[in-house]
Amino acid sequence: MIVIDAASPVPPFEQLRAQLARQIQDRTLAVGTRLPTIRHLAADLGLAVNTVGRAYRELEEAGLIETRGRAGSFVSAAGEEGRERARRAAADYAAVIASVGIDAGEAIRIVQAALTSGAAAPASS
Amino acid sequence: MTREPLPHADPPARAADLRLASAWLAQHDLAGARPTPLLASRLAVRRRARLAAHVILAVLILASALAAASTFGDPSPYRPLPLLALTALVAALLLAQSLLDWWVRRVDRRAGATLSRRAAHLIQPGWRAVLGQPYAVFAVATFTGGMVLVGSALAVPDPTVRQLAVVLLIGLLGVTAIIAMQLRHLLRHPVVAEDEESLTADVIMRVEDARDLTTPNVQWSLPMVLLFGTAPGWWSAASVAYLFLGLVACVALHARTPSSATVARRAMSVR
Repeated sequence: MIVIDAASPVPPFEQLRAQLARQIQDRTLAVGTRLPTIRHLAADLGLAVNTVGRAYRELEEAGLIETRGRAGSFVSAAGEEGRERARRAAADYAAVIASVGIDAGEAIRIVQAALTSGAAAPASS
Repeated sequence: MTREPLPHADPPARAADLRLASAWLAQHDLAGARPTPLLASRLAVRRRARLAAHVILAVLILASALAAASTFGDPSPYRPLPLLALTALVAALLLAQSLLDWWVRRVDRRAGATLSRRAAHLIQPGWRAVLGQPYAVFAVATFTGGMVLVGSALAVPDPTVRQLAVVLLIGLLGVTAIIAMQLRHLLRHPVVAEDEESLTADVIMRVEDARDLTTPNVQWSLPMVLLFGTAPGWWSAASVAYLFLGLVACVALHARTPSSATVARRAMSVR
């Protein structure tokens, strides 16, 4: 279910984008699930078509959904692949930490620092 | 559920609508939910729309009977004028139904515009969730049975029976088109909800309406009204069997399928 609160300070497109992204990430929406058309969801939520279109566009840019022409928008497998890559990288990192003898608390702080600096300036892969 | 009253609502009428909404909620195991002006307004509009839809179907039965009556006592029963008039009336009734659906959508849209929160499904309940396979099969079987009756009446050499069979064909195709239009509207018109309760109520209304649409009142009535007694005995027996079997299937469907509230909750749980 998607809920849009007109009284919220968060813009409707961001409310929609965030709820969709959360449901894709926590797998409430499985890979391959067909999303409602932009026009239909806009009518259901009482939003402008452009507002829903912007949310869909941002989700597509984030690789969470993909548009297959007239067939509509679907939850993309890219999000799942990204999560798997992160799991593999975490396992590699844990192996490095164990080999150099850093304790778990410090290892987590290093990750947190990397995530913080990564959010400010994303590293190129 | 909602916080603001709907604009332009007549206060005494609204109070009556709220009482009816409360009874409707209790009837669908939603007694814990508060009857809101949104639900009361939607149920009131739905009652009026259903009444108008029944009138449309009643007009179709009456017009078919009039077209059939013009056949009797005429030495040459092949008269195109009543058939053309009936076809034109079917087209007019389709237009009336589409205007009725448009009116419901407009009232719903206005009710939705007063809400500060809007809720919607991410996975739309399709025909399998709203109508259900057993009811869909029943609707298709009813249509097929009606067409078989028409085909067998057209094969009778008696010109009066054949003329009446054409009237029956126009009537049955007309009612099927009207029902298809209503089903399309049910499945595609936008949701008007503000939370999970009103979203559940919306699905219950759709399931109930879809089930009502598959009750083939007109399909059962038309063969009896138009041809029973005029057609040969075997045809009349077949039309009685069609009615009886349909009635048994309809009763069994209503008795064995889960209630609309249960279906709606299941639909909500997977969304």
